Amino acid sequence: MEELNRVRKAVILTALASKLREHGSWCGETHMQKSTYLLQDLLEVPMGFDFILYMYGPFSFDLRSELTALRADGLLDLEAKPPYGPQFSPTKQSDLLREHFPKTMGTYKNRMDFVAKTFGNKKVGELERLATAVYLIKESNISSEEKQAKLMRIWKPHISENEARQALEQAKQIVKEAQDIVNG
Amino acid sequence: MAALCHDIGHLPFSHAAEKELLPEDWDHERLTIEIIVGDELKQIWKEMEPPLNPEDIVKLAVGPGKAKDMSFSRWEEILSEIIAGDAFGVDRMDYLLRDSHHAGVAYGRFDHYRLVDTLRILPSSPSGEVEETIKPALGVEEGGIQSAEALMWARYLMYSQVYFHPVRRIYDIHLKDFLKEWLPDGKFSTDIDKHTAMTDAEVTTALLSAAFDNTKLGHKHARRLMRREHFKLLYRRNPSDIKINPESGKAIWKAAEEKFGADCVRYDSYSQKGGAPDFPVKMLDGRIESSLSISDALQRLPVVALNYVFVDRGKYDEAEKWLERNRETIIKQPGEEAGDGRTE
Repeated sequence: MEELNRVRKAVILTALASKLREHGSWCGETHMQKSTYLLQDLLEVPMGFDFILYMYGPFSFDLRSELTALRADGLLDLEAKPPYGPQFSPTKQSDLLREHFPKTMGTYKNRMDFVAKTFGNKKVGELERLATAVYLIKESNISSEEKQAKLMRIWKPHISENEARQALEQAKQIVKEAQDIVNG
Repeated sequence: MAALCHDIGHLPFSHAAEKELLPEDWDHERLTIEIIVGDELKQIWKEMEPPLNPEDIVKLAVGPGKAKDMSFSRWEEILSEIIAGDAFGVDRMDYLLRDSHHAGVAYGRFDHYRLVDTLRILPSSPSGEVEETIKPALGVEEGGIQSAEALMWARYLMYSQVYFHPVRRIYDIHLKDFLKEWLPDGKFSTDIDKHTAMTDAEVTTALLSAAFDNTKLGHKHARRLMRREHFKLLYRRNPSDIKINPESGKAIWKAAEEKFGADCVRYDSYSQKGGAPDFPVKMLDGRIESSLSISDALQRLPVVALNYVFVDRGKYDEAEKWLERNRETIIKQPGEEAGDGRTE
């Protein structure tokens, strides 16, 4: 699938930030990272970010830099909200930009809504477990639930076995629903 | 060892156009990794007391962003941050101070003694969270926040005043143009012996030779460099244009290429890598705060970004008048009807 150009990526990322906030997300960097991972790798929105397993689950250094570039372009603000750290908010300029990309917004609306609904109300601990579980399901060839939970605990030793199993179960449901959306 | 090896894979003239001068999927960090795990150094690591594991050195030298196939513990992540990290990496501290000194400017200076003294590994939780997800992270004591601010501002000023100076950037572009013609197949070799044998000295000698001999490969570009006949800056990004079109520089570049020909126009674009200067700060009363919450100076730190369009100096006067006449029609709000959906 052809990768979106930079302006269309900006449209998607600022829309995602906006939708996450509507669903009650704090919308810090971790929330944007996990949500964009879901949007790109599960819901097949072609943004070309390279995700690895790192801070609190799947993480992209390219995406981190792109979020910084969107701040430079006046499309995202980063507001400090003591005592819980900064959060991203889309600017009025980005609202205007999105108005000029109705097709892009239309094409990916359902996918962004799904991500915002699924991850918007989650805190970082839960996001880490779920996004890591999705990553494991997608990237490893392991199908046995027991082995999946074991691997998840090797990757993230602070996650309990029970939490790992629950996250994997939820992640399977997320993967299934995402596939249904992608297949229309 | 990891700190010493951190930059070992750099090409001649460091970062200049590395992306276009190496085969696909290669960058200087991958060369660094290949050298560290290669036979020559492997023997040295083995003979050390105690023997060193090359993989450990790779992890700390390049960090998780570049050693993507390796798994890192949180402590290894922090150690690699100390060497190569965005915020407090010693690589950054070193190059700011060194470049500032050698360029004869004061922008890059900050109190690194105070900063190093106040660096701490602190419990940190991501934004929006309190206790559940605490992990260790590199931060500073409250008393070090001003020296951390000074480092971040030094970085901003060095980028905006020195590294991104338009003449310095166009020299990189002419150098890249020269190397594309001079190097076999237009690329540097990724063979480690050939890579280590190719230094600034080899390239400088070739440049000098090509600049004054029009039969040599890359003559035109070498001449621009050695005789200071570099292209001139026609356009640079500014807040008003970015407000209308975040890709205003690219729009000017495309239009200028169409008008004056690709050979007479060059485009340069860069945006600061990494994230915001958000790190934990240990307050005097023991609380941990986000740096962005307690520091107005960090909160207001601008992000460095550039878009430059250069033209051949022979076309400069004409191009300047052309831009003045056409600027408003070129820089317009992007939209799908304007064909902005393409990959570029």
